Order: sequence, then structure tokens, then C-alpha cells
Amino acid sequence: MTETHDEARLIVAARRGESRAFAALVDAHQQAVRGFLRRFTGHWADADDIAQEAFVTAWRKLDAFEGRSSFRSWVCGIGFRIARDARRSHNRASARDTDWLAESDDAPDAAPIEDRMALAAAMATLPDEQRAAVALCLGEGFSHTEAAAILKLPLGTVKSHVTRGRERLLKALETNDG
Amino acid sequence: MDEEARLSRALGAPVAPKRDARFVLAVMRDAEAARFKKASLLAVLRGAGFAAAAAALAVPFLGSASAGGAALQSGAVGAGALLTLVLAWRVMTGRAAAVRR
Repeated sequence: MTETHDEARLIVAARRGESRAFAALVDAHQQAVRGFLRRFTGHWADADDIAQEAFVTAWRKLDAFEGRSSFRSWVCGIGFRIARDARRSHNRASARDTDWLAESDDAPDAAPIEDRMALAAAMATLPDEQRAAVALCLGEGFSHTEAAAILKLPLGTVKSHVTRGRERLLKALETNDG
Repeated sequence: MDEEARLSRALGAPVAPKRDARFVLAVMRDAEAARFKKASLLAVLRGAGFAAAAAALAVPFLGSASAGGAALQSGAVGAGALLTLVLAWRVMTGRAAAVRR
């Protein structure tokens, strides 16, 4: 059975109220959703809270999921809107932390901490939609089409955000060397 | 290493764990709490609807039987007690069903 069929089966079971099926969906997609939100918010603890809220919202609204995008994309979209609204209401732009950078330092193929710090700082300066597009496409490996569906933006706008965001991040790495 | 490779390496590294049972449990705990809250609210609303319907039926009866005061009072108290028991039973069964699911 393919991954897509498995996911469809789990969604049908979760809609019937089977919490184990929904737990399996959370288990399968938490890494991508949390990864995206951690990169987008720049604040590890807040991002995990938002991811949790996004999954609970998805559970409540599962009947509204039409299957036009993947489940992962749908939950990322819910999380993006919660995070964006929270930033608007609390003006949390300056509340970014970098604790997670140090915690992921023991990965076998980890990039130097200086590079990751420079990138995190540069990410914080990007506009919300540009940062979200970069986090999705360059960070979590979503396609441009998926990112456009998640962010509810035209495909061309997403491509442009990713290109411009990438240029600014590259510039930040160059500046960090100097 | 050139900047492109450094960027890919720094951005491509996963920033969240592949498996995290604690996170999954936290989500499911909140999800179950949300479902219980919804089920309880629905049970209360159904009960309130039932009570309103009973009251609407009782008003004409009260109007026509206003002459027999004592008998009417004891009847109303008995009906109120029965209604309270029915509502409590509905809320408890709603809660049990939510927990079972």
C-alpha cells in the first residue's frame, strides 16, 4: 500500500473519530509542520505551541479537509495563519530565540553554528511571506506549488519570494565571512 | 565550500525531531479535551432545548389548572426533579461517550 493510500485511510478513520488514526497522522507529519514553524517564527517553544494548536484545529475541522492538498500542507497552512495572526497581535518580531540552533549542533552533518546563526538572523529580517516561502521550499523541501497552496499566494509570487529570500540569505553568509 | 553549498547545508538540516512521542501525546490530550468540551456543550444545549420544550408545554397546563394550587405545586416540583435527573443523565452519558471515543 502506498503512503498516499495509507494517509487517505488514516484520514477516513480519523473522521470517524478514531483517535489512534489521527495520532498516526500527527506522528507522520509533526517534523515538517514544526520544522516549518520553527524556521518561520524563529522561536522554538512558540512554534511548537502553534504546531500543537494547528493539529488540534485540524482534528476539529477534519470534515472540512477536501483533499485538494496533502494533509501535511493543509496543517502547515493552518499553522502559518495562526503564527501570522499571533505575530500581528503580539508584535513578536523581536522575540526570536536561537536555542534550537545550539541544540541541533550535535547532528552528524550539522552546518557550522556561525552559518546557522547568521542565517537565523537574516531570516528574521525577511518579510513574513518571504520568510515563510523560504522556510517551506528551502528548509522543508516543499514544492513551489505546495507552498503557494499553503500560503494562499500565486505561484509566481512564491517563486519570486524564494529567489529574493535566497539572495538575501546568501548575502548574509558572505557578510558573515567578512 | 562556496556560499550555495553552505546555504543548502545550513538550511537543509532538520530543525525538528523525526519522531516525538511527547509532542504526539500533547496534541492528542488537547484534541480529546476539545472533543469532550464540544460533546459536553452539545449535551447541555440539547438538555436546555428539552427543558425549554417542556416549559412551553407546561405553560398552558399551568394556566388551565391555576385553581388547584397545592396539587399543582407538588406536581411542578416532581416534574422539575425528574427533568433534573434526565439532564444529569444526558450530560453524564455524553461525557462517557466522549471519553470512550
